[in-house]
Amino acid sequence: MSSKKRQQPGQARARGPSVSDTLISDRQSPPPPLLESHYEFLGDEDISFDRYTSEAFFQREMELMWPRTWQWACREEHVPDVGDTYVYDIGPYSIIVVRSADETIEAFLNSCTHRGTRLLAGEGSGYSPSFTCPFHGWSWKLDGSIRDIPARWDFPHVCHETHDLQRVSCERWGGFVFVNIDIDAKPLLDYLDVLPEHFKHFPLDRRRIKLHVQKILPANWKAAQEAFMEAYHNFETHDSPNGGNTQYDIFGKYVSRFIHNIVNYSPQSLDDYPGDKWRQPPMSEDDQLAFLGAYGLEYGSVPEGETARAIVADTLRGHLGETLGIDFSEVSESLMLDSIEYHLFPNMFFFPGINIPMVYRFRPNGDDVDSSIFDLLIMEPLAEGVDHPEPPDPVQLDVEQSYTEVEGISWLGPVYDEDTGNLALQTQGFKTSRKPGLTLGNYQEARIRRVHLTLDEFLSNADTKA
Amino acid sequence: MQTQRRKSVGAQTYRRVASEQEIARGQTLCVDVDGREILLCHTAQGFFAVDNLCTHASARLCEGKLKGHRILCPLHGAAFDVRDGSALTRPASIAVATYPVRVDDEGVALLIEVTEDGVFHR
Repeated sequence: MSSKKRQQPGQARARGPSVSDTLISDRQSPPPPLLESHYEFLGDEDISFDRYTSEAFFQREMELMWPRTWQWACREEHVPDVGDTYVYDIGPYSIIVVRSADETIEAFLNSCTHRGTRLLAGEGSGYSPSFTCPFHGWSWKLDGSIRDIPARWDFPHVCHETHDLQRVSCERWGGFVFVNIDIDAKPLLDYLDVLPEHFKHFPLDRRRIKLHVQKILPANWKAAQEAFMEAYHNFETHDSPNGGNTQYDIFGKYVSRFIHNIVNYSPQSLDDYPGDKWRQPPMSEDDQLAFLGAYGLEYGSVPEGETARAIVADTLRGHLGETLGIDFSEVSESLMLDSIEYHLFPNMFFFPGINIPMVYRFRPNGDDVDSSIFDLLIMEPLAEGVDHPEPPDPVQLDVEQSYTEVEGISWLGPVYDEDTGNLALQTQGFKTSRKPGLTLGNYQEARIRRVHLTLDEFLSNADTKA
Repeated sequence: MQTQRRKSVGAQTYRRVASEQEIARGQTLCVDVDGREILLCHTAQGFFAVDNLCTHASARLCEGKLKGHRILCPLHGAAFDVRDGSALTRPASIAVATYPVRVDDEGVALLIEVTEDGVFHR
């Protein structure tokens, strides 16, 4: 008989040092939020495949969730001047974000109030000193109020109250412009939960888009984002020893997080994985220093008494500090190195790290239940006093294209190919399976379950406000 | 409807239209060449030149905005790629004419071709 005490579901963890153990033993202390831990057991029932494949479920999401939830549409620097616009499409909905005055950014449904025509055809950034419908020439000022109606005499029944552009809730946080089609949405700050407090330590408004890649993925938007919500897949998908001891946090209905140490390897965390890989023999500190090679940097060996993690962090502090003109000397190893990923319901990811500085967004590809659009932004820290440069246009990749085709994506190209390479197979597997749903780990995959639970609240309660 | 190409009456020639300093990167300049407005666009990839009138409803593109390599029409938001003139979004579907640009010590010059009715195009 085992002498182990019986554990409650969700209490078990990988063996070896925890993320907190590592962060505490690092030379530079991390910001306090990174030492917090907030896990809760949310159940262990299977998640039905229908939720990923059913047209009816997809339509319910479109009716009850997407029009009632906050989503970031663009960055403030996409609309720096009065008249700058950004069109954000989500399923059948289209939203115009516009800088209507120096300090004002507003959002409207992209639809003429005369006969409904979409006003701005393109998606992404644009410019309009006013909005003019291409059908009959009705026009509106940037604040959405009616400007001109040709043959005004024929429309005595039209006025501002009824025919100004249809407003959408619009607020800003961290340099992002958020929209919510629900005009009675609760304030964005209430929705963001711990994010404003945590990101005081790593402000996203002082980041610039270095690279924006927009790829079509062959999977439902939820399956696509769930490929990025755990590091459990690292061993098999990325052939990587890191990830077994990743920390997972649930901060509320809308926000979750993982902290996945980079250059922190423990053979114990892979204790019950098949085979001897990375356990017998375990990787040496010198082996782990090879991470620097992946970043295109030179490396030697780890001196006695040092760790690879400390040396890699130091090397990156110097290299990135010089490249970006920023002093990283007092930045913690964790922020320099680790994959720290916050998720915001329903589809947004924010990484505060310096070397892993991504933002993701996953959304349905039009009305296709089986494909999605993945926006990948690499958000480089901006030196003090430097103005935001004009953001680059997205590099667009179709389903069959490889991330390695993207100029400047460097070591991340093959990694994203691996991450997204399972999705077509998973979609096929959903449809051939006799078993009706997918099974989740209690701890490592709890963030995925959190999203489904919150989604259910939207779908079951027409009054849910986000 | 088929457009007849006008007969050229002379050799193609570069004509200086602006100095490089007049157009900061990211900016545009509308120049008049023999009565035809042409928009010079200074992008991160260099200088490009397109006709100043939108091919949809003839709004002046100089009253729109250059974003990256796209010029945006102020009227309905149509976008054209200034590198090849192609119409990127509706309501425009016809490409805007482009002109080869040469930048040297003497400034920014356009390659123009005079046709028998006096209108030039590349």
